Amino acid sequence: MTNKEERDNHRPSINPVLAHLEAIATGIKWLTRKPMTLMYPDMEEKKPEYFRGFIIFNYNKCIGCSLCAQICPPRAIHMYRVPGDKRIRPGYDAGRCIHCGLCTDICPTDALDVSPVHDEVFEQIGSMDFDPVEWHIISKKLVEEHAKRKRKLVITRVDEEVGLRYEPVE
Amino acid sequence: MIGRELGQRDGYRVVELYIGPQHPASGHMRLVVYLDGDIIVRVDPDIGYVHRTMEKLSEIREYVRVISLIERMTIIDSCNITLPFVEAVEKLLGIEAPPRAKYLRTILCEINRISSHLYGLGIGGIFLNHSTMFMWGFGDREVFVHLASLLTGARLTHTYNIFGGVRRDLPQGFKDEFLKAKRYMLRKLKDYDKMFFNNPVIRGRLENVGVLPKDKAIAYGITGPNLRASGVRYDARLLGYAAYSELDFEPVVGKYGDGLERVWVRLREIEMSLDLIEQALKQLPDGPIFHERYAKMVPPAMKKWFEKGRVKLPGGYVRLRPRKGEIFSRGEMGHGEVTYYLVSDGGMMPYRLRIVTPSARNAIMFSILPPGNTLMDLPAIYGSMDYFPPEADR
Repeated sequence: MTNKEERDNHRPSINPVLAHLEAIATGIKWLTRKPMTLMYPDMEEKKPEYFRGFIIFNYNKCIGCSLCAQICPPRAIHMYRVPGDKRIRPGYDAGRCIHCGLCTDICPTDALDVSPVHDEVFEQIGSMDFDPVEWHIISKKLVEEHAKRKRKLVITRVDEEVGLRYEPVE
Repeated sequence: MIGRELGQRDGYRVVELYIGPQHPASGHMRLVVYLDGDIIVRVDPDIGYVHRTMEKLSEIREYVRVISLIERMTIIDSCNITLPFVEAVEKLLGIEAPPRAKYLRTILCEINRISSHLYGLGIGGIFLNHSTMFMWGFGDREVFVHLASLLTGARLTHTYNIFGGVRRDLPQGFKDEFLKAKRYMLRKLKDYDKMFFNNPVIRGRLENVGVLPKDKAIAYGITGPNLRASGVRYDARLLGYAAYSELDFEPVVGKYGDGLERVWVRLREIEMSLDLIEQALKQLPDGPIFHERYAKMVPPAMKKWFEKGRVKLPGGYVRLRPRKGEIFSRGEMGHGEVTYYLVSDGGMMPYRLRIVTPSARNAIMFSILPPGNTLMDLPAIYGSMDYFPPEADR
């Protein structure tokens, strides 16, 4: 923290020529360093633990308590009647979801969980709205596909020199 | 920009100029500028283009669902804006977050403040055509967004503060990552001074431009770094909410009140926030992160998650009923002071939630600062203010 005297004369007058040169020199110094850009489609970041992406649903663990539908802030989860099932089950509108993860926190049986899948593309709006059975199937499919991705996987680390660096993961 | 001639005023021709709402520099708002030659005689800010009825929407949502709604007012500063609301509801519920949760909230608040200031500095830089500052501000912000995502699991919309505590414990290795980020940022701030603050071009554009004297700043109710740049020692953190009462800090107070001073206050506040996070990490107490009244209501099979550093909510958490009453709370955001006035009628949803955001209070600066300056200075004044339209319009 700066102390009081420093603050009182915190704005020293500058020499226009030297200050220009100093700014240019600083720019050149940073020009030679590695950029902190993540080359996204070619590289993929390994997300931190409990990263809140697509919500995955396990139909077999669900007890149909409907707490997830009650807590969902944008009402992305609705309860459905499934033929041949006495209980109501949650369906999911991925287009409405804000990935707050509150449904996974309140689920009393871990039927809902967060996943690192955050960049799945759906071509039509209608295809983002899942009923309980579809949600169970797409969750399984997305997690399996995510594990099999062939992109270069990197992990983000804070670096003292350039800010962020990306280390390859085996 | 559309301009039209208004006619004569005191023998001079006055031109009315519309800047926005689609203008890249003034996005989400419109400035109606009256010009006499090149000199601004009057500015009418026309705000409200991104009004989303946050206050009304919060009246039809249960308390826990309001948290993730109101953090969308300022998506770059989402912990700071939800904290006063969460603390207000906690007071009505008659609970207090455990000490560890308070420290974790403070840590995330300061991370958010740094990223908010870097965002503001970057936008201010591009307003002056200083692309390097834009790239640096947004690049370095990424470091702190990464730290926030390690802590909470989301990059921007954390929904981290909940009634009775926080949702995640400090992950392993966070302290080392933060200390590295601190050393990087302190070194980079010296380069910021060389590249931006002491750059003769920036000095020429911002020095003695848009001067806000101390008395005017108080009279118009300006808040945040803009107020402190005018020499007023006021910071809502001094009230000691969250863990601020146990940390040692002194608000950064400027002297001159011009555009350059507002930039300087933001740069020095980044240093202060880094210092605060380090203090908080050093003093971080052990213990639970969630209030035991709710923790003991969680089903026994789900208790394992608490040991893994993740909070599980009990079933009754959706239907929280704070007692009947009215409460006022405030907190310091990156842009200034946010205040909430919450009226509860004892039901599951707020009866009324009045929100006054810092940008709404700072919007008056558009009327009082530019007159007398040239049109060229308008983007410089705007950039130095760190105004965030979605927050002002709510």
